[in-house]
Amino acid sequence: MLNVQKSQFFGSIDRSGRMTTDPKREFGESGAAQQRFLSLFLRSEREVFRYVAALVPNVTDAEDIVQQTAISLWEKFDAYDPSQPFTPWACRFALNKTRQWIERRQRWQALLDHGLAEELAQRRQELQPDFEQRLKHLEGCLGKLPQDQRSLIEGYYYERTSIETLAGRSGRSEAATYKMLQRIRHALQVCVEARIQPDLA
Amino acid sequence: MNLPFPSPEFDHVAAAVCHGSATEAEMQGLNELLRSNADARDQYLFQVELHSRLASNPDLFSQFQDTNDRISLPASKLGSQRNVVPLNPVRTPARRRLKVVLAVAACLVLIAGGIGALWFKRSENGATSAAVAMLTRTVDARWSPKTHPLGVGSALEPGSLHLESGLAQIVFYSGARLVIEGPVELRLVSANEAVCVSGRVLAEVPTPARGFRLRTGQLSVVDLGTSFGVSASQSRTEVHVFKGKVELQPGKAGEQSLAEGQAALVQGSELPQLMAANPEAFAPMFEFQERSLASEAVRYDQWRLSSAQLNRDPSLVLRFDFENLSDLDSTLPNKAARTGQGEDGIIVGCQRAEGRWREKTALEFQSVNDRVRLAVPNEFRAMSLSVWVCLKGLDRDFNSLFMSDGFDPGTVHWLIRRDGVLGLTVFGPRFGKYQILASPPVSSLENLGMWQHLAVVIDGKAREVVHYVNGSPVSRHALTISPPFRVDGAELGNWNARAGPNPEPSLIRNLSGSLDEFELFSRALSDAEVRELYLKGKPDL
Repeated sequence: MLNVQKSQFFGSIDRSGRMTTDPKREFGESGAAQQRFLSLFLRSEREVFRYVAALVPNVTDAEDIVQQTAISLWEKFDAYDPSQPFTPWACRFALNKTRQWIERRQRWQALLDHGLAEELAQRRQELQPDFEQRLKHLEGCLGKLPQDQRSLIEGYYYERTSIETLAGRSGRSEAATYKMLQRIRHALQVCVEARIQPDLA
Repeated sequence: MNLPFPSPEFDHVAAAVCHGSATEAEMQGLNELLRSNADARDQYLFQVELHSRLASNPDLFSQFQDTNDRISLPASKLGSQRNVVPLNPVRTPARRRLKVVLAVAACLVLIAGGIGALWFKRSENGATSAAVAMLTRTVDARWSPKTHPLGVGSALEPGSLHLESGLAQIVFYSGARLVIEGPVELRLVSANEAVCVSGRVLAEVPTPARGFRLRTGQLSVVDLGTSFGVSASQSRTEVHVFKGKVELQPGKAGEQSLAEGQAALVQGSELPQLMAANPEAFAPMFEFQERSLASEAVRYDQWRLSSAQLNRDPSLVLRFDFENLSDLDSTLPNKAARTGQGEDGIIVGCQRAEGRWREKTALEFQSVNDRVRLAVPNEFRAMSLSVWVCLKGLDRDFNSLFMSDGFDPGTVHWLIRRDGVLGLTVFGPRFGKYQILASPPVSSLENLGMWQHLAVVIDGKAREVVHYVNGSPVSRHALTISPPFRVDGAELGNWNARAGPNPEPSLIRNLSGSLDEFELFSRALSDAEVRELYLKGKPDL
């Protein structure tokens, strides 16, 4: 009895066109695909995140977009050619998702309009080797920060503590806390660039 | 807005974009600058890159972790939050995902090995066994010959476990989780009690399992919603509290409570000697616990991915995933993508609770008022209902899973009876005509506190009703009522009897327990499909 309404979700249909009825086999196959996907995706996730963040730097927003990207990647995973690298494939989806996401948000449109999104994505690609070179010193530079700055950076980026809480903890205002984060990043930038000098010489 | 470069204004706006606090005017100004000035664009890209590295690479912070809040507990800072090693740290989605990255290599192996083995071991009528716990995870575990051969997924009945070396995690049906480190002898007494004869045990007891009791030769530790470690031998017991509070009940002396960061040593019949808790002594067990949390996160991620697919099933009328519910939410969104038939559910009362995984939300039904109201106007030739439920008790004669209001023609009532029978009532085209399709008892008390998958398929064409528990059919019945079937107004976890303000007891049918997923399909799922729903949603590997 063939049910014409068979869903996509359960769609393992064997060669003779019947639904497979062996649940073990059915799950074995989709389970294996899931594992393959998960393993590829998790390896690329940070890179995809940075790709998105180059366009939408706000961390929670970028994470939302990455999450949506993951879902559409999984949905289109059948179309993925395993002989090709996964990350660029994933980044193409991420760019699309980012575009869709921006469409509904006027503020971000203002930032990325007139082709700037594509230009940024493109230029970032070109600068990648240079960024790698500079940022390999980031960990060392973090280690050199004074204790209070280190714990602020750690609270914001690693523990993901809210700005209200961080401000409350240090007795600063929220605006001052943001300012402090900006200054620390600036200090880190100066530090990694100072370290790069000998390499260039 | 005209933004000069280089300038403090530029630095400010670039930072504000990273923090998500930039105004539209600022963003527009930045857009104009970046399109016209290549240096500014490169500078901006680098600043953003530095920001996104910090946000996406937790390894950068590993050096701080080692010096700050790991495993070291100077006695002077006893009880200070910062120095307590959290067993169940509150993690943002981002942190969790990054944890997942670290854990994935190990976990994929577990996934590959776990699914088949677990399924087949658990399938043999778990409902009537005397099991009180389950072995959920091991690392290099070597069991003594005195212990029956155990594999991950083995159901554990009361009795002794001897682990010679390695680590193992045991989840009690009450929800308490123990990690044991060999050499250790542990005696399981009930879903709520165990005896550590000798060796080291790390216990984590979530709120529903409060009151879990761990005994040793010298004393009893009664958990008050905590994590604690016990190290026992014949003549001495150490109890270390890492989170929350426990109550010590030494043989004859009075009770004593121990707070977070405290530890006690009891030797012979002496009074307990207080000291500082020492997480270092339990370090391998904490690490093991961390890893298992990470693999739980992988399981949750897998479920979310398959959820996204399931939502697109064209025969899906209603799907509630109970995700991200806050106390303020009063609607339960219908996630079925293509139908547009089912409306959102309305949450009345109910507590927000933990679902199958720590980061998943569920709704807990407890009082007679708690319910999710919904309405589906369509008629169906066939229906399939599927739910993930964690029962707390079978308090009523009839405990509602999903029941249409009243007794209208063509509607259905799906419920669990007090004696553990799954029941489906289908009402015929005329008032007074109905058919009850009841399974044999399947849900004995020992399943309380465990997440279970229940499903029922009503096939109008084949004239058959099938009940399922955890993916397996438990009974098949010929159906005498003919389609169409309807839902109309209905409730999850309760029933609107339309019987006036003081209904008689048999008409009170509220559920005691939590739900964290529900589906209604407009067709009859096959056995294989129901099983797949179960496999895709089952909490552990």
